Amino acid sequence: MTQWTVLYRKEMTEMMRNYKMIWIPIVFILLGVMQPVSSYYMPEILDTFGGLPDGTILEMPTPTGTEVLMNVLSNYGMLGVLILVLSAMGVVSAERQSGVAGMVMIRAVPYSSYILSKWAGLLTITLISLFIGYAAAWYYTGLLIETVAFERIFQSVVIYSIWLVFVVTLTLLFSTIMKGNGSVAFVSIFVVFAISTVTSILGKYMKWSPATMTEHTGQVLLSGELDSSFLLAFITTIAIIIFLLILSIQIFKHKELLE
Amino acid sequence: MALLKASDLVKRFGNANAVKGINFHIEEGRCVSLLGPNGAGKTTTLKMLSGLLEPTSGSIDFKGKKAKDLRPFIGYLPQYPAFYNWMSGKEFLVFAGQLAKLNRKEAEKRSEELLERVSLTNAKKRKIAGYSGGMKQRLGLAQALIHRPQLLILDEPVSALDPLGRREVLDMMREIKEETTILFSTHVLHDAEEISDDILIMHAGEIAISGSLESVMEAYRQPILQIEFESQAADWLKSIASYSFVSEVSIQGNKANIVLGDMVNGKQTLLKDIVDRKLPVRKFEISQTTLEDLFMKVVKA
Repeated sequence: MTQWTVLYRKEMTEMMRNYKMIWIPIVFILLGVMQPVSSYYMPEILDTFGGLPDGTILEMPTPTGTEVLMNVLSNYGMLGVLILVLSAMGVVSAERQSGVAGMVMIRAVPYSSYILSKWAGLLTITLISLFIGYAAAWYYTGLLIETVAFERIFQSVVIYSIWLVFVVTLTLLFSTIMKGNGSVAFVSIFVVFAISTVTSILGKYMKWSPATMTEHTGQVLLSGELDSSFLLAFITTIAIIIFLLILSIQIFKHKELLE
Repeated sequence: MALLKASDLVKRFGNANAVKGINFHIEEGRCVSLLGPNGAGKTTTLKMLSGLLEPTSGSIDFKGKKAKDLRPFIGYLPQYPAFYNWMSGKEFLVFAGQLAKLNRKEAEKRSEELLERVSLTNAKKRKIAGYSGGMKQRLGLAQALIHRPQLLILDEPVSALDPLGRREVLDMMREIKEETTILFSTHVLHDAEEISDDILIMHAGEIAISGSLESVMEAYRQPILQIEFESQAADWLKSIASYSFVSEVSIQGNKANIVLGDMVNGKQTLLKDIVDRKLPVRKFEISQTTLEDLFMKVVKA
């Protein structure tokens, strides 16, 4: 067994023992299921609260299945990102702070194995949570509203996962650079939202931005067709992710690991 | 043959030179203690030897060859060992063993052996979070030995322990030294005197004294006179400094250590003095300077 496998297995065991492997997917399932359920029961919900005066005429079109699923993804884009960043913030920094990272590196472990095992662990939890949560959302949408073609679901979730992978890779980098968990989370979230905002404001010039992945996801859901700029965005995003990983490894190499 | 040889090792942090070009070697099968006050550069030196810190300049030879990465040959116990607290003691050892490229079976077997040896067999299934300081230190020792290293480097292995824990770790080190070369740092001189074969004394980033324990003690040993009074006798003690055979007087409360150039003459004269002046003497003893005296002399110089 290579050192990388040993480290990756340790990551997985740790996530099982501290229940991350359970509660993060549960949060994603809840976020996913809430959307179709609340859309379906909206008239009843409004009735129960009784907030509308008599005589109000309310035209409420039932949203289409794809619209519901787009809302699910936008929930993932806010709360999902927040939860992933918060759960990933200590991935390297906490181990450096406690000194246990040093205990690992005494063992002639390549720096890249250490960082890449962390990355693979983050990827696993992110993809599992996203796929399970989204599948649950799809199932409930089909049950309550209308069935959306599986092909579109699959394509959209794959494209969306690239964005989340970018988010956790960025968190991993900041966790390598900084020591305090709070500052890691703050800076990561700040950067992620800055990228999203700049991309949506300067759309024309930001066709390459990783944040466009969310737009491409919507595009695929709605029309089943990919925009022509997808390839460019895809290539730059993958390139940026690789660059972030290399940067993390290089920075980790130059950190003092045992105080 | 020298197992490890350090030549002109320098480590600079910013503008400060933590280690200023030291040279030393470690013979195979010896137990070497690295002594020095806090901030002398002991930990920095050990980290450079174990490959955790890149030297600013200088080289380290292992078994006569320039080695790029020494980590596979060295077992290292840091000053504050840290573990994954959610693992059990045994899990951590197996994990460390597998990282040291043992296969799972070997790692399991070796872990059991070592747990037995550091007497943690009863606690092997407990979470490390619940271990005491002494148990963690012993687990740290076990993880350093997991891959049968040729050189065991221990940074302050006993400083943070209570007397009982200290005793346990020292006894273990005495056992281990039969099989492996040990280099350990400490500022507890008594421990160094007890188990080491060779000593290196560092001060302000340089090696002040090195050699085998006996030869160093031999070379620097001086006869001294220890006198203890029932009450203070500072006036007399100050006055004796004018005798030609007295080379140094240090006073601590009612006790005084007097270094004599001429023991035979000196002790007669002083004893006579004490009787003449009817000084209330409690103890009058001739002994030799200890490692502690030598250490103090080096550090204060």
